[in-house]
Formats: sequence, structure tokens, C-alpha cells
Amino acid sequence: MSGNPATYASVFSADFVRASARARRRRERVVAAFVGVCTAIVLLGLLAIPLFLLFGLNPATRLPPETWVRFQVLLAGTLRAGACGVLVAVPLGIATAMFTAHFCAPGLRTWIKPALEILEAVPTVVLGLIAAATLAPWLKTHVASVLALIVIIPLMLLAAGMAFGTRVRNEGWLPLWLLPLLIAAVALVVALAARQPTSAIVPASPWNAALVGLALGVAGIPIVFSLSEDALFLVPRAHTDAAFALGATRWQALTTVLLPAAGSGLVAAGLLGFSRCLGETMIVLMASGNTPIGGFDPLSGLRSISAELALGMPEASPASDAWRGLLLAALLLLLLTLCVSALADALRERLRRRLHAAAHAA
Amino acid sequence: MNARRYGAAGTWLVAGLSGFCIAAMLCLFGLLASAGLAPFWPAAVEQLQLRDGRSLLGEIVAADSAGMTDALAIRTSEREHMGGAYQRVRLDDIAARSQPVDVIMLTLVDGRRLYGRRSAEGEEVLLAAAVAPAAVLEILQPNALGLAARCGVFASRLAHFLATPPAASNLIGGVLPALLGTLTLVLLMSLIVMPFGIATAIYLHRRRGLAARCVRIAINQLAGVPSIVYGVIGLGLFVHGLGGGIDRLFYADRLPVPTFGGGGLLWAALTLALLTLPVVVVSVEEGLARIPTSLREGSLALGATHDEALWTLLLPAARPALLTGLILAVARAAGAVAPLMLVGVVKLAPALPVDGVFPYLHPSREFMHLGFTIYDAALASADAIRGVPRAYACAGLLVGVVIVLNLTAILLRNRLRDRYRALET
Repeated sequence: MSGNPATYASVFSADFVRASARARRRRERVVAAFVGVCTAIVLLGLLAIPLFLLFGLNPATRLPPETWVRFQVLLAGTLRAGACGVLVAVPLGIATAMFTAHFCAPGLRTWIKPALEILEAVPTVVLGLIAAATLAPWLKTHVASVLALIVIIPLMLLAAGMAFGTRVRNEGWLPLWLLPLLIAAVALVVALAARQPTSAIVPASPWNAALVGLALGVAGIPIVFSLSEDALFLVPRAHTDAAFALGATRWQALTTVLLPAAGSGLVAAGLLGFSRCLGETMIVLMASGNTPIGGFDPLSGLRSISAELALGMPEASPASDAWRGLLLAALLLLLLTLCVSALADALRERLRRRLHAAAHAA
Repeated sequence: MNARRYGAAGTWLVAGLSGFCIAAMLCLFGLLASAGLAPFWPAAVEQLQLRDGRSLLGEIVAADSAGMTDALAIRTSEREHMGGAYQRVRLDDIAARSQPVDVIMLTLVDGRRLYGRRSAEGEEVLLAAAVAPAAVLEILQPNALGLAARCGVFASRLAHFLATPPAASNLIGGVLPALLGTLTLVLLMSLIVMPFGIATAIYLHRRRGLAARCVRIAINQLAGVPSIVYGVIGLGLFVHGLGGGIDRLFYADRLPVPTFGGGGLLWAALTLALLTLPVVVVSVEEGLARIPTSLREGSLALGATHDEALWTLLLPAARPALLTGLILAVARAAGAVAPLMLVGVVKLAPALPVDGVFPYLHPSREFMHLGFTIYDAALASADAIRGVPRAYACAGLLVGVVIVLNLTAILLRNRLRDRYRALET
């Protein structure tokens, strides 16, 4: 308060207080209205997505029958790419999550988690570039080596664990110690393959579902990882502690307590990874060759719904048959991903409820 | 004993697969860093002496290592046009390889590269005759450069890449318009998404009714919708619906040439805003939820209205969460390319979206984008041996920007956590 008596009096007069209260109430109403209107616009925008696709179809006119044949091929391509991606992302993502949640040294964990978050942020167009420009020429001649590695690496790890595992006390930093072994295995297989004059398996096209799967898998690993790690962390510590108290090893605690308890969460993580792979566009667009080929051969090219949308939509004129066919394709893709992710959400919800109940009972 | 053995085997399997993930990640970032920076490094020029007596002078281009184990590709002087002087040489045909010190390499403004030797007079004359001084972009003696000089060339090429517009249908020159387009797009997107995102988060924070539950479900489901579907919505709803409507109302005299009815910056920004909305809402709401209720109740007890408590207390306390949401949204938007392909990104835009002419920002213009430049240079360019390294350079730049943004978000989040731990005790 400055010394001016007039100001002093007016601030404390009943009229002023009443007026300012009125102004404050009015402001509160305005802000509440603003928040409400903004939220309504947001909700409108969200609802516009399915509604636009539904109404844009204009069901009065029928689509030509060849559209449906094409849809089958596109759907098969999408599912084939998604399946290949999941086959890469799920084992690696869940294994990393199991290690990070259960075995990992705290020092390593503070690095792995942010690193995978950054991997998640890498734009998929960059992964598509690596797949199309660097990986494709290599994979064309190395399909057999990749298959060999898929078999050899797990067997080698299991054998090494059988032989030396019991001597290692502290497995917290094990992944880093195993890096030389992995590098040696990869180098050995590639060197052996280079000595063969011709490669054993030649893919039908250098851009194929297996290549797409590798790139999609890298894109999917962080999602699968973070969701499964969340699920594993939801299991109360008391459960694993009880297992340890009964004499279980770390591995036994993992397989007998953690995995059964968090199982539905892990399935949900895999499903969400699958859903993400189904809708991914840039990788499929760049690495799949975009040839509409049906069937289940992982070594032939494909064309997915998302690539069809990205390539066809800018050319199609509104309200033409092609346009409506593409809208239907978009609706199909939306429904597919929504169904898969809704299933995953239901599983996660179930897990959370059950573990919540378990924690309260304990 | 057997149980311990099997357990150890399982543990090693899990640990090994995690190690594989780490190795793959390191390879990925290593490849991006090396392949992204390699185009700027002055490569050596080689002289190949062939068995049939010919001699080739040029750069060995490793870019098309497409299964070539018994041959290599060399770029010799491009006297006619860019990309017209690649030669495949079988390794068996090469008698000798050398890197003569007196090689001069000229890069012309139109992208052509010419190589010549100072000692061989014929080549020297040819260089002088073919080249007007104004058309020369860079003149180097690459094999004679020391490390410091190479670094200097590297820096100047990098600066040229960042600060000039592209030329020769996007195969050479810089990426300034793409960089500017990306930045403008992301900025405009942030301006749109932040108010709506924050308002929705506040609504969800305050209300627990049926409407709030609907909004929450919609937001959660929205996060899983494929980005290309947003592109379809952007094209159908924003470009054709809103833009077409604006054109019919205000720019009817210019029809059928679209003003807002074609793809453009504004519609792309709106599409991306819809795409990033869930990120912002979730992170802001989480930030609001983390603020101890005692703080808000204290301010209400002192006579503040809800709105005053919000402005003076809750939002300032949640400022790091707002920032995290913004940064994550920007990182996601900077990497989203698929939806942009439907709503106005182009290979070469005739004009920048921002310039010195009123109204400075031109929201209806088509624009260029780093991510789309990657796609275009890698797959749709006429000269793949130039296109792929260029795509990698753009990819390195884009990933660099995204990583810096994400690291900032992660650091902010950690600081935020520490701060609330301090508040709670």
C-alpha cells in the first residue's frame, strides 16, 4: 500500500471487494468455458477420424469387385509385414525387458532405458533408409547367414550359460561381457558365408518381407520393451522376495513368479507392438518394394495398406471410385489396429486389477 | 545343481539377447553418424591403370556396394552432365591403383565434378577451357590435403549443406528450405497443439464424470492410430473440406486454382497437431497429478478461486511437465513423414513458407521437409550414387535434432522428479 489514503480506503471498501469478487467469479467462468470449449473441439477432432472415414464412403454406390480382390492382397501384405516385425521385436524386446527388470545392475539400467527411449524417437523414415539402402543389398546375399545366426546365437548362449554360467556370481553387467561373443559369432558366420561361391537362399526380390520385418522389428523393440518392463515392475516386490526366501534362484523367481504374474502384460506388449507394426508406413514404403503380391512367402515383396494410402491418396480425386476404395482401406487399417490395441488394453487392465488385488491381499 | 545350470543358461540367453539389442542400437547410431557425415569429408581421388592400357581418374564411390565383390564403381570427370560418368571396373582388370598428389578436383555449380592432373598438360587445358570461373563452386587438391585442411573442407561443406538451397532436382546443394520447412511446420504445430492439449489436460484433471471418461478413452485410443490415417483425415477433412470451403467462400475468383484447397503448411500443422495431441495431454496431466493436493488446497483455503490457483500455482509448478510434453510432441512431429506426404510436402517448393513479404508466414504454401527429402533422395532420385549419401546426410541431421530434443526431455523429466520428491517430503 502506498501512502495515498484515497487508494487505501477504496481497496477496503465493501463495494470494491464485492466488485472484485464479481470480476473474479466472471473470470473463473470464462476460463472454465474456455477449457470446456477447447476440450469439446479436441473431442470433435478425435471423433471426426472414424466418422469421416465412415461417411466418406457413401455406401449408396457400390465399389467394383476388383477392389475387394486388391484388398485381400493388401491385407495379406500388411499382416505379413506385421508378423515379420513382431517376430523380431517380441523376443528381443521381452528378453531385454526381463533382463532390465530382474537381473540388471542399476548402473546399466540407467543407461539402457533412456537409450531405448531415444531409439523409439528415431524417425521411421531413417530406419527405412537404412533398410532400403544399406541392409537390402547385404541381405540379398546373406539370407542363409541370417537364418543360421537366428539358430546359432541362442544355442551358443544356452551352451555357454550351461558351461560357465554357474561360475558367474554377478550377472548385472552380463550383456556387455557377452558382446564380444556375439560379435565373434556374427563375424564367423559372415566369414563362412563369404567363402561360399553362391548364396544358399536367394530371395525373390531384394526388397522383401524379411527385410521389412528386420526394420519394423527395430522400430518395435522399444515399444515392446517399455510396455513389458512396466508390466514386470507392476508385480509387487514382496512376491519375488518370497520366492527368494524359499530358496529360488533369480531365474526360478523369474519363471515361476514374475512371468506367470505379468504374463498378460507381456502378451499385451506384444500385441501393441504388432499394432504399431501394422500401421507403420515409411519403413514398409521404402523397404517392401511395393509390389502387390499375396501369399505368405517372407522372401517376396509386398504392398501394405499404409503404403497404398501413402502412394495412392495424393493422386486420387475426391469422390472417385479410387478415393472411396482408399477410404475403405484406411477404415480397415484403423479398425485392425484399434481391435488389436483394444485387446491389449483389456489385458493390461486385467493385469493391473489382479496385481492391485494381490497387493492389497498381501 | 541341474536347476542352477538350467537357470544360468536361461539367464545367459536373456542377457545375450539384451546385449544383441544394445549392439544393434550402437550399430544403428554408429552407421548414422558415419554415413551421415561421410559425404562432407573430402575423399581421395584415385588413378586406376587398367590392363588394356586405359587409365581412369576419379573417386571410388562405395555407395552402390550392391553385391559387387569382384568390381568397383568409379566416378570419372563428368564432362557432359551430372551422373553421366560412372564406370564399373572389374578388379581383375586393374593393373595398378595410385593416389597421385597433384590431382585437382573441381566441383561446379551445376553439380558436376571434374578431375585432372596438374602435371598432365592436356587435362589442365581441358579444365581451364571447360570451366568459366564463375561456375566453380569448389576447387581442391584432395590428395595433398593435410588433416587440418581436410577438417576445414569438411566444415565449409557442412556449412554449405546447412545454409544453401538445393539445386539439380535436389541432388546437390544444401537443405536450407527443408530445414526451414521442418522448423516452421513444427513451430506452427506447437502453437496449435499446446493450448488445446493443456486445456484438455486441465479438464481431465478437474472432472471425473462421464464426459471426461469419454475424452480419456478417445485420447488413449488416438495414440495407437497409425500416422497415415491422420494423413488421410488431413487430406479429406482439412485440405478438401476446410480448404475447399475457404476457397469457395473467399477465393472464388481464383478457382479452379486452389489457394487453401491444396496441400499446405497450415493443414500439415493441423494434422500433426492432432497426431501429437495425446502426447501433450498425457504428459501435462501427469505433471498436474504429481503436484501435491495440499498445495492446491492451501491456495484455495487462502481464498483463491480455482482459476487463480491454476494460473498462479498449478501451471507454474507443472511448467517442466508442459515443457516435456512440448518437446516430446516436437520430436514426434519432426519424425512423422507419412501423413505429410498427403497434406502438402513436396520435393521442391518454389518458395519458402517464411519470407520477407507480408504476411511473412504463408500458411497455404507447399513446403519441403527433411524427412521427405530423405525418402525422395534415397528412392526417387535420378542418380542413386549421389542420392543415397545425401539421404544419409539428411538422416543424420534429422536424427541429431530429434535426439537433442529427446535428451532435453529426459533431463527435464529427471529434474522434475527430483523437484517433486523435494516437495513431498
